[in-house]
Amino acid sequence: MKIAIRHELAVPVPQGATRVQMHLLAHPVAFAGQHIRHWAVEGPDIATAAAFPDAYGNDARLVTLRRPESPVSLLLEGLVETSDKHGVVGRIGREPVPALFRRITPLTRSPVTVYGKFRSTPRDGRDRIGLLHQVMERINEFHVFAPDGVVPSIEGTTESVRPAPTQTQTQTLGTMTQSQSLGEPADRRTPATARDFAHAFIGACRALDIPARYVSGYLLGGDAPGHAWAEAWDDGLGWIGFDAALLLCPTERHVRLAIGLDAMSAALVRTSPTIGEVETTSLSVAEA
Amino acid sequence: MTQPTPFDEMHNADGSIREPYRELDRWLREQPPQALNLMATDAEGIFRRLGITFAVYGSNEGTEKLIPFDVIPRIISAAEWRRLARGIEQRVRALNAFLHDIYHRQEILKAGRVPEKLILQNAAFCPEMMGIDPARAVYAHIIGVDIVRTGPDDFYVLEDNLRTPSGVSYMLEDREAMLQLAPDLFQRHKVAPVETYTENLMRTLESVAPEGAGASPTIVVLTPGIYNSAYFEHSFLADQMGAQLCEGQDLFVEDGFVYMRTTSGPERVDVIYRRIDDDYIDPLTFKPDSMLGVPGLFDAYRAGTVTLVNAPGTGIADDKAVYTYVPEIIEFYLGEKPLLSNVPTYNCTNDDERAYVLANIGDLVVKEVHGSGGYGMLVGPTSTRAQREEFRNRIIARPDNYIVQPTLALSTCPTYVNRGIAPRHVDLRPYVLVGDQIRITPGGLTRVALKKGSLVVNSSQGGGTKDTWVLEE
Amino acid sequence: MTILGRTAQNLFWLSRYIERAENMARLLEVGYRMSLTARREGGPSEHLVSMMQAAEVDEAFNAKYEVADIASVAQFMLFDEDNFSSVRSCLKAARTNARSVRTALTLDMWESLNAAWLEFAQMRPRDVTGPRLQEALQWVKQVSHQFRGALMGTILRDEGYAFATMGGYLERADNTARILDMKYYVLLPRANLVGGDVDIQQWTLILRAASAHRSYRHVYHDRYKAWNIADYLILRSEMPRSLAFCFSNINRTLDMLTEVHGARSDAHMAADEARAMLEGNSMEKIFAYGLHEFLTEFIARNNRVTDALSESYNFY
Repeated sequence: MKIAIRHELAVPVPQGATRVQMHLLAHPVAFAGQHIRHWAVEGPDIATAAAFPDAYGNDARLVTLRRPESPVSLLLEGLVETSDKHGVVGRIGREPVPALFRRITPLTRSPVTVYGKFRSTPRDGRDRIGLLHQVMERINEFHVFAPDGVVPSIEGTTESVRPAPTQTQTQTLGTMTQSQSLGEPADRRTPATARDFAHAFIGACRALDIPARYVSGYLLGGDAPGHAWAEAWDDGLGWIGFDAALLLCPTERHVRLAIGLDAMSAALVRTSPTIGEVETTSLSVAEA
Repeated sequence: MTQPTPFDEMHNADGSIREPYRELDRWLREQPPQALNLMATDAEGIFRRLGITFAVYGSNEGTEKLIPFDVIPRIISAAEWRRLARGIEQRVRALNAFLHDIYHRQEILKAGRVPEKLILQNAAFCPEMMGIDPARAVYAHIIGVDIVRTGPDDFYVLEDNLRTPSGVSYMLEDREAMLQLAPDLFQRHKVAPVETYTENLMRTLESVAPEGAGASPTIVVLTPGIYNSAYFEHSFLADQMGAQLCEGQDLFVEDGFVYMRTTSGPERVDVIYRRIDDDYIDPLTFKPDSMLGVPGLFDAYRAGTVTLVNAPGTGIADDKAVYTYVPEIIEFYLGEKPLLSNVPTYNCTNDDERAYVLANIGDLVVKEVHGSGGYGMLVGPTSTRAQREEFRNRIIARPDNYIVQPTLALSTCPTYVNRGIAPRHVDLRPYVLVGDQIRITPGGLTRVALKKGSLVVNSSQGGGTKDTWVLEE
Repeated sequence: MTILGRTAQNLFWLSRYIERAENMARLLEVGYRMSLTARREGGPSEHLVSMMQAAEVDEAFNAKYEVADIASVAQFMLFDEDNFSSVRSCLKAARTNARSVRTALTLDMWESLNAAWLEFAQMRPRDVTGPRLQEALQWVKQVSHQFRGALMGTILRDEGYAFATMGGYLERADNTARILDMKYYVLLPRANLVGGDVDIQQWTLILRAASAHRSYRHVYHDRYKAWNIADYLILRSEMPRSLAFCFSNINRTLDMLTEVHGARSDAHMAADEARAMLEGNSMEKIFAYGLHEFLTEFIARNNRVTDALSESYNFY
């Protein structure tokens, strides 16, 4: 399937700054289920940016914005050809060892009430895929999140899943759209975003000693095209995608953009110094 | 339990003088009564004039203190030093191999020789370092190894310092002062020089410059600024090397290259000897509110245009919890038995060991896993009942947060105190440079606990320093 | 190799602060001396006040003290940290700048500053009165001489030297111009050619503030005359505190920078503009233009040199 993506962002920067550094994870990497037919990122000073692989194997850029006007406009535009591999991503060239993705970060702490029941479930060979599907279903049950990012568990214990606010603003695809599409529920709790589902799934996997990582990307169809999900490791198949928000393994409608330990390390844009949040001004994901 | 008599580096048990100290003993006997007192006064003048001070955290504004300097040198024989140097070299070789491995394939974790959780879930492990190939595969270029001695042939490594070890300027200035104070004493010994350190530091830094840096790479020292406790050392080293002493504001990144702001505009920088902690070097990648660092620096490092010395993330190799595995690490990467021993360490997460620790805390030393500088530490034999109780509770609450070691009877050296000479406990920090080759400066910094009976040698806790002599044959 | 812009800036200000400390001591010395011998109504405080006006610290003083007597003024000028130009503030700022650029200083320069600061820290304000005050002021001047001596005698003649030197001369030119401006009205040509006692006292004050009351005689072989005094401090290039002397040195130092950087900068242009007021000028023309107007204009052009230096050589 051919998917055309056009994503415009507005990055606020301090007025009068001589130089602003911008770290971009905006160049998707190809794998068997995803061929990049065309991809371009436009914005000021991008032509001279440094290109290098980051710690997670992403194709990263360091852009030095000279005396930028705020907000800085970015445009990601591309054509990606996908095929359905039942979520299997496999092994991609320069990625770090899977074990790295057992590291628990402040965003991926999981309450024992979520993963506890799987502690004695067999998790090797064929059993692992089955277990991961069960975990995904379990996560999908926890679909309501409180406004401050606290996950209420069935037994009523809570655990914070968001890190302390920091000055470097990050913005990931999942947060931007999913919450808008679900609307504000009657009990005024913020509905879980795709990002929250992904973190919860990753946290549970890591608690069960299964490497799992965060994926930011796009989703064709529905009313929530900006998206995030997770991938978990299997010694036989390699990385396998799990979309706990949609309760399925990624299909040909999913376009992978960047990976990381969590939403922070997979953020599309990071700047220093910075003010305010990065905004998506327009986004279209369409079949071409 | 009574403590064993500490090993006296100058005297044998029968009161006779040990070989390395023969000449010193003779010299001391020849000195008129007031000579040492005069030397001590002169020494203070020398250090104060040079502005060698350190700031003490937590005390009032403007506190710049002199680290007390003891005028009696510590002497190590050539044979003793050879043994130490071989052991140190083996250790730093293994630790660099370990760092390369855990930031790449993690074979030692796969092999189960070091617990995976200890590394991956450790705050000192830096995932951003994954996959980077630093020049010559060296991560820790500048290392200080803390060594204690308990007998003629018993040396133990107390701690490895692989982040930004300090104190080397004291080693160099102690020697300068000693040369001024007692030139005649040098004439009567063959003392191995330490002045080669700065030349070797430059060679080391040049040898790890990134590709394309040219024959004479631009080296800078990056300091947090004049309020840092080790600022004197930063400026001292920059001065000795003829390198620019930069603060974060003096450097900037453009399109993945690092430049310094000079009077004639930007100038490329190839190697940064940074004395700023990992967390603060780059607000774009690490602590976003850091004012000390250089935005984009880490990305430039990843892009391979600049070398950071030491590399970020080396702290995982000197983590106190990882320390206990260093013998394992040496065997795994080098296939050799460790030449220098670790201090035996109790693991409080192990039930039996914890029980032993709680029952015998009065004889033990308890250290916080992430503490340093002698803070957050209990020395059992000199502690109060209340302190022991407090640490017992702390260990029960967070057993993984503490390591516990027996109280070592640190060796003593003759030290000038209160108009007389008395034995005081010492440790030793030799400095190691790792680049195109491994260079160890003979000797190092001897720290001495000036309080009678005290085992805490940290300058922040009333310790002083001594010039350290390695005799040549 | 060129140096860091910040290093250049620190060296420049380091010198300026030492020079300023010296000027403050000099002004206080004059104020003190005049307050002992003044016979006019208005009492001794008038001299102290005009001295503080020249140093531009009178407002800060008035905000803190009721009466300008020698004790309060000496305390304020020597030890008060609320006074950014006090000797303490200057020595502290100089040492802080020096610490930041420790590697750009020679050991002798550092030692002179460090020793001065440590010695000053030992001084107890309540002990510094009467003869002790004069001793202390003499000490401050010695500190400045020692530092300048260490600078001239030990530092490499590279960029660092240029910035350090320039800081001193720009500060000195500023100070001399301000002293003249403070008393410009007593220097204006008047009908009566011979000054009265009051005039002589005022002239002496001006010359003393520039340490020029003795050397004047060697140059002019004459009694104090208003015209000569102005000429001496503005145009005489052999007088080391004159505007002409400062700018001939600034010019020479800028030429060094031109050699290092291979091009003239805006700082040269700014210095040329200030120098144009001095070279080929005469007291006739200056008096015709207006002495006060001349000095005001000069001080402004002098300041522009500092601004242009920061711009051209990346002070930040």
